[in-house]
Amino acid sequence: MEDITKPKEAKILVFSTEKISDPAIDLAGLLKMHYPPKVYTINVPCSSAVKPRWVMHAFEKGFDGVFIAADGTDCSYSEKCTDNTSALITLIHTQMKEKGMDPAKLKMAAICSVCAEPFVKHMINFASFLSNIKSN
Amino acid sequence: MKNKIGVYICQCGSNISDYVDVEKVKEAVMAEDVVLLSKTTMFACADSTQKEMASDIKEQNLDGLVVASCSPKLHLYTFRNVAIRAGLNPYNYVQVNIREQCSWAHSDKPKDATEKAIKLVLAGIHRAKHSVALKKQKISSENTVIVVGAGIAGMRSSIELANMGSQVYLIEREHFVGGRTSQWNELFTTGETGRDVISELYKQIKSNSNITLFTGAEVVSKSGSVGNFEIQVKITPRYIKPDCELDMEKFEKVLEVCPIEVEDDFNFGLNKRKAIYKNYPSEFPEIPAIDDKTCTRCGECVKLCPEIDFEQKVETLNLIAGAILLTTGFDPYEPKEGEFGYKTVDSVITLQQMKRLIELNNKELIYNGKKISKIGYIYCVGSRQSDGENKYCSRYCCTSAIHTGIITKEKYKNIQNFHFNRGIRTYGKQELLYHEASESGDVFLQFFDDTTPSITMNGKGPKVIIEDFLTKGKEIEVDLDLLVLVTGMVPRKERRISDILKVPIGRDKFYNEIHPKLRPVETVIDGVHIAGACQSPKNITESVKSALAAAAKANSLISKGEIELEPTLAIIDKSKCKSSGDCIKICPYDAIRTVEHDGKTVSEVNNSSCKGCGMCIPVCPENAIQLIGYTDIEIESMIEALI
Amino acid sequence: MSDQTNNYDVLVVGGGIAGEETALNLANIGYKIIMVEKDLSIGGKMIHLSKVFPTLDCSACITTPKVSETARHPNISIFTNSEVGEIEKISENNFTAILTQKPRYVTEDCTGCQLCEEACPVSVEDQFQYELVGRKAAYIPFSIANPRIAAIDIENCILCGLCEKVCPADCIDFTQEAIKTKINIKSVVMATGYQIFDPTIITRYGFGKFKNVVTAMQMERQLVPTRPFNAVLRPKDGKMPDNIAYVLCTGSRDDTVGNPICSQVCCMYSTKQAQLLMGALPMADVTIYYIHVRAFGKGFCEFYNQTVGMGVEYIKGKIGKIDEAENGDLIVRYEDIESGKVKEAKHDLVVLATGILANRDYQSMFKNIVLEPDKFNYVKQVNDLSSPSKTSIGGVFVAGTASGPMDIPDSILSAGAASAETASYLRRAYNEK
Repeated sequence: MEDITKPKEAKILVFSTEKISDPAIDLAGLLKMHYPPKVYTINVPCSSAVKPRWVMHAFEKGFDGVFIAADGTDCSYSEKCTDNTSALITLIHTQMKEKGMDPAKLKMAAICSVCAEPFVKHMINFASFLSNIKSN
Repeated sequence: MKNKIGVYICQCGSNISDYVDVEKVKEAVMAEDVVLLSKTTMFACADSTQKEMASDIKEQNLDGLVVASCSPKLHLYTFRNVAIRAGLNPYNYVQVNIREQCSWAHSDKPKDATEKAIKLVLAGIHRAKHSVALKKQKISSENTVIVVGAGIAGMRSSIELANMGSQVYLIEREHFVGGRTSQWNELFTTGETGRDVISELYKQIKSNSNITLFTGAEVVSKSGSVGNFEIQVKITPRYIKPDCELDMEKFEKVLEVCPIEVEDDFNFGLNKRKAIYKNYPSEFPEIPAIDDKTCTRCGECVKLCPEIDFEQKVETLNLIAGAILLTTGFDPYEPKEGEFGYKTVDSVITLQQMKRLIELNNKELIYNGKKISKIGYIYCVGSRQSDGENKYCSRYCCTSAIHTGIITKEKYKNIQNFHFNRGIRTYGKQELLYHEASESGDVFLQFFDDTTPSITMNGKGPKVIIEDFLTKGKEIEVDLDLLVLVTGMVPRKERRISDILKVPIGRDKFYNEIHPKLRPVETVIDGVHIAGACQSPKNITESVKSALAAAAKANSLISKGEIELEPTLAIIDKSKCKSSGDCIKICPYDAIRTVEHDGKTVSEVNNSSCKGCGMCIPVCPENAIQLIGYTDIEIESMIEALI
Repeated sequence: MSDQTNNYDVLVVGGGIAGEETALNLANIGYKIIMVEKDLSIGGKMIHLSKVFPTLDCSACITTPKVSETARHPNISIFTNSEVGEIEKISENNFTAILTQKPRYVTEDCTGCQLCEEACPVSVEDQFQYELVGRKAAYIPFSIANPRIAAIDIENCILCGLCEKVCPADCIDFTQEAIKTKINIKSVVMATGYQIFDPTIITRYGFGKFKNVVTAMQMERQLVPTRPFNAVLRPKDGKMPDNIAYVLCTGSRDDTVGNPICSQVCCMYSTKQAQLLMGALPMADVTIYYIHVRAFGKGFCEFYNQTVGMGVEYIKGKIGKIDEAENGDLIVRYEDIESGKVKEAKHDLVVLATGILANRDYQSMFKNIVLEPDKFNYVKQVNDLSSPSKTSIGGVFVAGTASGPMDIPDSILSAGAASAETASYLRRAYNEK
């Protein structure tokens, strides 16, 4: 029997970027800031390079949420990065809706290379949001 | 697929092992059938451990290496080098971050940290399993740079490039070198004239065997990419034999007989010049030129001077270069008719005209036959516009106008200067000039963009009516002999070159760099650099700095004869591609083009321009693009390992 | 060390952004570089800044890739916590110098685990946080330092030995002594940077006396993502300020403090801080007292206009005196240039936009030869129009703010110029041999 009084810990997949947001996640650890351990990170060069099928694959395999830690305006490849990543998010949201999934399970935020604290806050909030919808 | 992977789990003293049960990780990892050996170690980065890894790789014939330790930002290259030393391809090495992103982040929950570490290492193993051996790509490169524009920035960068060992083709559209700098007289801070500076640089260029100068030359097309650009240049002849020696007396006679008079651009229309011309006697190259556009071929000059040769033909040259540097400069802002009385009130000229006027008047300052003593300057004309589209500050004009005022006072008697400004921006050491001008009695009156001065004619000269900052509410009227509009810099009107090279243009319409701090002289088009005032308004020193910076970048890019490229590139599966063009549109580097393949049009990545950002991979409707190192199978198997 | 390893093509003095850019350019061409940095980490002043104007990208995000590229480059050898002296020109392309590596009391095997920091019982003011908070005597300089290894501040250390006991990698070594090495080099680039004006000299501003008068660098540290308090607070009572004033030209354009020139950056960094403050403290009022707003660079004027549009108030006025009220608020008395009247305004935090001064350290680095200073004690540029990095000594070049006030983009261009002129010098001398 599942214990419905205690929310389940949500599993979150983070796509981070090698030069910008991954260093922020490192910094969070360095500063011994804690966030839920069921957060797993995969590195990509740029947040505009995340394929929708990867995100859908993560959901299919059992991840509760996917978080794209975007380059934002700090992207060293293109000043259109923010726009491109947003367009991807819109595309994936559409695919999620088609499958009857709650689009809120995919989140994006720009994380600069020293944005350790915002990252941790995002993780804590996202995990508790996902746990709530999971146990409901 | 790799099936003999070695895994090392680092304790990092106790930084990892205090929170992560490394022995448990080791056991969990051993259960994977592709893992041949799994070890824990006190310090993976220690020299002894590195040696142990290298001998394991050799003795056990490992085909993949995984080190679970700190962040790859610290030791990715350390362990890649271990792989290289042991004969394993460095791209078959994967680093897993179980310190910053695991033991430290979850030091509050050691049990969970151990569980997470196991999954992270498993994902690393999957990545290593599907990794492929990669080689850094090398493309050959010509150690030659095409520099477009022989103003101060172009000349200076050419000399430096040549001194660093690169070949240079210096392409100038005009028949003479020097650009804007040769139009200015005494310069701040050294007191040299623009002509002196240009003459000295020209001598250095002529005596440098690495530099080939083309004047009357224009780039008409481009093909190829970094390392091997092919540039077609059209050269308009001077119509004077190249070996002729300039005889000034004869030249002056020729000038007399030439019946054609055109507006003299060099003097900003202050006077006329002939169709055969030299802008000033010591201009370089020494030989005069005949202006192809206006000459009627009447033949009067040929009668006096047999060296004139109308048989010369327009030529086209094909040049090959590894890199390109644009130093095409700026145009002065041309005020609209009626803007501060320009062309509607007598004796209203631009700052650039003023500088030429000083040059042309030796003893007394005369304009339109009238002796000038009271001079007004209105600042920010064409810059910092609240209504117009030039929102930017042109940077050099405050200092330039103040300096011009000082020079006028030094050269002529009884000069009085009035500066109608919007806040003087003599930044840095230029502040001293502002001091000097104030001390010498120049009057500075400040206005805001909502209280711009109005200009009327007072019978003798222009009158400025201004609501000064200090006397708010009260209007001041100043009668002047000459009003100088301190006109700023705008991008060159003629900019075919940017269309040909696809150089991006910024909000202010100047050429745009990749990043003002990280890569200020490079553009997103690999191998195409920008310097000087074509990038943004700059004074001479600043133009030269950026020119030299660009020279250093271009030289280090191409001087080794080959360019090394990271092998993480996008590849397009041509059998899947249906040529939607989405990848071409999104690529920030212009690195994807269409080619014919098996009778259909498909997209192809130009390996020498691709930066491996991966922006193209999600937009392909056919999923025909894979990014090496981030292929679907690698990422998806990692996802499966993490769950 | 064998003599062979002490030969380099270029000595780069200073590991700030200009030094890094110069070293990387030259190393990428193929020259061997020795970089000497007097601090414990490279990265200079820039690595400590928050977001930078006019693009508002995060300073650390731009610096750290350059820092790690420099640290990793096979052609660059970095000596931090080190000094260089007795630079002597033997002939063209032939210089010698003495490198002094000061002891760090921690070996390079340090993994940056910070256990020594936790164990250390001594607390002192943190110079990298501009004295806003404390640090230990055994410490990692700052979180993104490079190299990220600990150091013992021996002046404050009480030699209790606790750090030695907890260090898992056995890196603490109190027996370290300064090492002097003679190096042979072919050319020198001075990238020694600038100094920040010390506003205690202007007593009427009350810096040092009134706690709520801070410098711009102290404000900068409060706006950084790795900031000490995680909020913008005024020092006296930890209250969140809601009415902040900036005093521009503090120590610049001021003959009375011996610095008549403009520092080029203060108008813009204050404008930038004002924007960041409006983000951090949405309810706060920000007033900037200025003489002229020098928003001259690419995108600067647009940035300034945007800031005005956001509601930051710019008052053209000269500050006469700052006094403290009982609650720690500050009374700013100023001459309002618009009305010509002397006025008073109350603010709860005053930020002094301190200017840039020459770093004169270079003057004692040379032997038997003088590197000429300009009027303001910056390294003199002998031909600033067409050879901006040439100095009075052939083969010695200057990069960045060592030659005068400059913003970051200009420093980077200046470093580019220095690398080109150095590379030409090396090659010319080589060809003539």
